[in-house]
Order: sequence, then structure tokens, then C-alpha cells
Amino acid sequence: MSKFTLSAGILSALLSLPVYAKDEVVPQGVFTAPQIVRDLYYGDVLFHFYQDDYFGSLTRLGASQVLGRLTQQRDEAELLQGALYLSLGQHVEAGRIFRSLLNDNVADGVRNRAWFYLAKVWYQRSYLAEAEQALASIKGKLPGPMEGERQLLAAQVLLYQERYGEAIHLLEAWQSTDDSASYARFNLGVALIRQDRLDAAAPLLDGLGMSGAASQEMAALRDKANVALGFALLKANRPAEARVILERVRLRGPQSNKALLGLGWAESSENHFREALAPWLELQNRDLLDAAVQESYLAVPFAYAKLSANRQAADTYVHALGLFREEGMRLDQSIAAIRAGGMLDAILQNDAVGAQGWYWQLAELPDAPETRYLYHLLASNEFQEGLKNYRDLKAMQHNLGAWNQSLAAFDDMIETRRRAHVERQPKLREALGGVDVDKLESGRNDFESRLSLIERDHDVVGLANAAEHQQWMKIERIEAALADSDPADRAFQEMREKARMLRGVVYWDLSASYKARLWREKKQLRELDVALKDARKLQILVGRAQVDAPQRTEELAARVGRLAPNLESLSARLGAAADAQRRYLASVAVAELEAQKDRLASYTMQAQFALASIYDQAATTPGLAQGAAP
Amino acid sequence: MTRWILILAAVLASSLAMGQDVASNPGSAFKGLDQDVQSLKKEVLDLNRELFVLEEELLFPANTQVAVFVSMDVGTFFSLDSVTLKLDGKEVGNYLYTEREAAALLKGGVQRLYLGNLKVGNHEMVAFFSGQGPHERDYRRGATLTFEKGVGAKYVELKISDRQSQQQPEFLIKEWE
Repeated sequence: MSKFTLSAGILSALLSLPVYAKDEVVPQGVFTAPQIVRDLYYGDVLFHFYQDDYFGSLTRLGASQVLGRLTQQRDEAELLQGALYLSLGQHVEAGRIFRSLLNDNVADGVRNRAWFYLAKVWYQRSYLAEAEQALASIKGKLPGPMEGERQLLAAQVLLYQERYGEAIHLLEAWQSTDDSASYARFNLGVALIRQDRLDAAAPLLDGLGMSGAASQEMAALRDKANVALGFALLKANRPAEARVILERVRLRGPQSNKALLGLGWAESSENHFREALAPWLELQNRDLLDAAVQESYLAVPFAYAKLSANRQAADTYVHALGLFREEGMRLDQSIAAIRAGGMLDAILQNDAVGAQGWYWQLAELPDAPETRYLYHLLASNEFQEGLKNYRDLKAMQHNLGAWNQSLAAFDDMIETRRRAHVERQPKLREALGGVDVDKLESGRNDFESRLSLIERDHDVVGLANAAEHQQWMKIERIEAALADSDPADRAFQEMREKARMLRGVVYWDLSASYKARLWREKKQLRELDVALKDARKLQILVGRAQVDAPQRTEELAARVGRLAPNLESLSARLGAAADAQRRYLASVAVAELEAQKDRLASYTMQAQFALASIYDQAATTPGLAQGAAP
Repeated sequence: MTRWILILAAVLASSLAMGQDVASNPGSAFKGLDQDVQSLKKEVLDLNRELFVLEEELLFPANTQVAVFVSMDVGTFFSLDSVTLKLDGKEVGNYLYTEREAAALLKGGVQRLYLGNLKVGNHEMVAFFSGQGPHERDYRRGATLTFEKGVGAKYVELKISDRQSQQQPEFLIKEWE
């Protein structure tokens, strides 16, 4: 039995995925400065955006664009739209918007952050060429720790494309002192090992493996570096060095099982089988779900056999076979449960309804057997992104279901409008028929003409009120009557004098207030003009509304009629897509469990062969029969 | 026998290693599904937008529409709890703010508090703001606006800002053209 064949899978697993810092993308990071609002409806979108209601924000933004409510901040709104699409994982739309908008007119900080977040989304969804292009669109440096993340992301994109030489060159050129530098050293070490450059990788991983760890995350990375280097040294047949490295790994931690296994192999390679037993026996006290623990059930009897303890070896192989069989049955049950379709619903049952967004993370897993087997898979980008898609599809189905109920109300509203219009027609016709704006305008023109004449002729009497005019007419009648009287008659003379005085008094009064009256009449004329203008406008509007209102109602009815089948068809397609996504995720999960089953089958076969070999030896070598189990 | 075991184990291990490499790199199946989901989600977003616009046009036609917004400044002197809105003496809105909503206002968001219909002509709007004022005392203030509703949508903003000179919050109602 060779340590390399059994543990090659573990080494490959350690080197297959470059590691990355905890991936928290905050799409709001595209807009870090407070936004100045010059369009109220842009502010409305921001109000929902800042509450992480990305779906609602996007709907409102689109509505405001259609209704022409964004006049001052069109460009900011479009950029925000790109960020919102990104928040919902709509990287295609976000990419299209950013490509068209992110030119030199946009502030560097906003442009660079937008490209960075887009690159992250594309990386998460394995659009590596697009991610590389987006990263290349960043000009200058990103602020603070984002620059480290950018360098790391660029290296990962290269590593995933197996362009190790370029990744190495990039990481070697990058100087940084923050946590991302540690990830960079690890990834660089991985890249070098994959290029069989262990001597170049060793100082990097060794340095990382001895570094102080200020956080749990860094401690886990340090352990990972030690395990990767330890196994690489084992593969290079340098067990003594491997042992020193592996002994640094914490006894309790995510890498401890692999480290214990590797330690055992390091001892075993130097024929220190008794020493190898210590870490391997420790592994047997741990959860059988772990591949290293499963392997220990073969490694321990291997060591016993090397120490000529054939009975113990055989007993351990028999025990292992029993455990592997039970585990295989549990895996079969889990595969059946996943194929029956309950996995995703069980995973999402505690999920907060309504919370959406690309950066949503699954917070809690249900305690079901299948989820225990799938921890590593559930943490992978592929599964997480698929889960997000599934979740978004279900949320959108729910959203369309709500709209479906509203459509019935829309029909009622339209019917109410039709009825209201019919009911209003008689009153409207009566009101419009009773008002003759043309006649009023004609009256206004007459009035203006008279006023102009009064002003031209300084006709103070023209501005007399009704009582004054009556008085004036009376005086004129009196004077007319006295005009034919005997001029020598004293009595008539007196009367003519009185009439003249009266005329003078009335004229004086009218004359004194002439300017004020003229000003007042002109003012009233202006007010009349305004009122007539309004009346004309309203007459036109009402006339138009009589024609437009029913047309508008029918347009709205047509839109409702068109949207209803769209809604139904889209709901059905969402359901189909959600099913397809569910089936895909189930197939990925089943593939993972089948792979675990295959591993168990391999271990089972090896245990059976080894056990058979022990029985053979016991049967053919006299005296050894005592040490072998029946 | 031992050599035979070794060969078998090597074949199994290498196939396991390859299997893990393939499983760790998301394939074309995922991308194909992802692209389908992307375009489907876009259609849903477009439909949502159309339905949202339609609903608003049915309930609040542009000619009679009035929209009232709330905005908040730095928030040094006032922490908003609720707003009550009255139009022509009738209460049309009474909104309690969560911490999240208040934070969104402070970041620069503007809340559309009320959307309704009004006839053409003069109207009176009164808004009451409740919250915590300077020194964390309970604070309630009002603001009034008389405005003319013409033909076309009317936008009004209730602005809460800090008046540094008086170390007090200021409550204004602003008409938008």
C-alpha cells in the first residue's frame, strides 16, 4: 500500500482550488459618497436601494425612466441601474450598461469600483474571460484593501484558466502587507507546486505556515499552507521535512484531519509504524464523513500488519468494512432523498422571505443527512450561484403571483372608468353647452374698445357707476328740459344755474377718481383676460378629455389585456426554469455523493484485498495462524 | 498480490483526482442554465416595470396626481420617528419609520410618502413630524403649505434639515415644478 495513491486525491483537492478571502461584495460599494438628489424620483430609488430592496429599486427606476421623471440625473440613474442589475446577479445587463456608460466622463472611483464588482460577479459565475476584461478596464489603483482584492482576483482568474506562469508573475510582482497578501502567497505556492516547482513554492508556504495569525481566518489559512506543503513534500519523498511541517497544524481545525493522516504517512515512510499509529488512531475517533478519517481505517491496519500484529490488522479491516458498508447505505439513502426532490426546499426552509440579491449567503443549513455530506459542495461557487438563481426564480414566481391577483383589480378599474365616463357625458355636455367662451371673448373685446375710447377722450363719465350714471343722465335731462325755457325768466335762470352746479359737482367727483377708476378697470380687464384664458384652456382640455379619456381607457385596457397572457406564460417559464435549476443542483449533489461512494468502494476493495492477503498468509505460514482472525 | 493492489489503487486515485478537478470547475451546464435564468429574470424585471407603471396610471392619472416626498439632512438635531400628512383637513398619511428606513433617508434617499389624486384648484397641506430633537427630547413640529393644483402631476417635498445657526432642526415644505 502506498501513501501516494491513497492520499493523491487529498493533495489534488488542496491544490485544485485557489483560496480567496471571505467574499463579501457590497454592491452599494459602487456608490460610496452620499448621493445628491436633483430628481425626487431618483431619491425614491435610492431610498429603496439603501434598504437593500434591489428588485423594488430596479422596478421603480425603470418606471421613472419610462414616465420621464428623471430629467437631471439620467446618467447617475443608469449607472445605479447597472449596480442594481449586478446586485441581482444580472451580470449580462450590468456589463452592457457599464460598457456604454463607464467612459472618461465618469469619476475614476465609481468607474473602477463598478468594473471591480462586475469582475467579481463574472468570476463567481465562471465567466473568466469577461472577468479578465473587466479587471483590465480598471485604471489606476482601487482604494484601500480593495486593491489587494483586485490583485488576488486577477491571479485567481489566471489560475482557474491554468495560466500558472502569468499568475506567478502577477503575484510575484505584487507587494502588499495586508491579509490578501497571505492569500496571494498561498495561491502562488499552489501555482508553483502545480508546475512541479516545489523548491520555489516551499519558502512561500513555509513562511506562511509559520506566520502569526491575528484571526481565525488567517489561522485556517496557515494550517492550509502547512498541509499543502506537507503533502507536496510527501509526494516528493521528503517525509522528514513533511513531518516537521505537518506538526505545525492545529489539532482541532478544518485541516487537522488531513494533517494527522499526512503525519502518519510521514512516519510510515521512514518505517516508523508505531509512531504512525498515534495520529491514525486519533483520526478513528473523528467523524467518518471525512475522507481522511475513512482512509485512517485502512492506514491503521496497514501499520498493524507492518508491525506483524496481524490479528489486530484483520480485526480493524473487518471493522472498517462494516463501517464502510453502513456509510455506503447512508449515502444511498441521501442520494434517494435528493433525487426525490426535497433537498433545496429543506436548505431554504429557514431562508428570509423577500431578501434578495447576488451577495445573499445561506446562513443556516438544516440538519439532514444529505446536507452533512455536502458541506464542501454547498460552500462552492457553483452550488451557491445555482442556489441564488433558484431562490431568485422562486421569489420572482411569488412576485408574479401577486401581480396576477392585481390584474383582476385592473379590469375592475377600467370598467369603472368606462362607466364613469358614460355617466359624466350628459352633465359635461350641459356644462359645455351653457358656456359660450367665444361670446365672452367678444364681450371682452367690446369692453376693451370702450375703455380705450374712454381713455382717449378722457371721458370721465364713461367710468361712472350705475348710480352715478343715472344721476348724470338725470342732470342731462334736466338741462335738456331747461334749454327751451325763457332765458329771461328768473326762476328758469335759477334752475339752470342749479343744474350747472350739480353737473359741476358730479363731474368734479368723477374727474377726481378718474385715474383710479381707469386703473381699476384696466386691472379688471387683465384679470378677465387671465380668466378667459383659463376658461379657453379648460374648454379645450375638457373637449380633448371627452375624446381622449375613452381612448386612454381603451389603451390601458389593451395593455392589461396584453400583459395578462405575458404574465401567465412567464410564470410558467419561471416554474420550468426553477425546476431545471433544482434538477441541476440535485445532479451536482448526487454526483458529489456518488464520488464519495466511489471512494468508499475503493477503500472497501483495498480493505478486502488486504484482509484476504492476511488470511492467505495465516493459512500458508505455520505459526502465523495464531495471529490472524478466523 | 501487493503489487496488484498498488496498481489498482493508483488507477482509482488518479481517477478520483481528475473527478475532483472537474467537479471543482463549474462547467457549461451551469453557464447554459445561468444564461437562461439571466434572460428570464430580465423579462420578469421588464414585466414588473410595465405592471408598476400601469398600476400607477390607472390609480393616479398624471392630470390629477399629487406626490409627497420626505427627505432628511444630516440628522444631527433630529431623529425621525413618524410623519402625519393632512390634505385639505383630511389625514391621508401616517407613517412610522423603522431604523433602516430612517438610515436610508439619512444616506440621501427620498421617500415617496404619499401618492394621491387632487382636483385642480387651491389646496392646503399640513405635515406633522415627530421624533427626538436636540438633547434627545421628544419633538413634534408642523409645517403648512397652500398650493395650487393645476393640470399635471404635482410634486411636494417635506424637507427636514439641520439649521446649524440655531442648533435646531428645520421643517420645510417645498413645491417642485
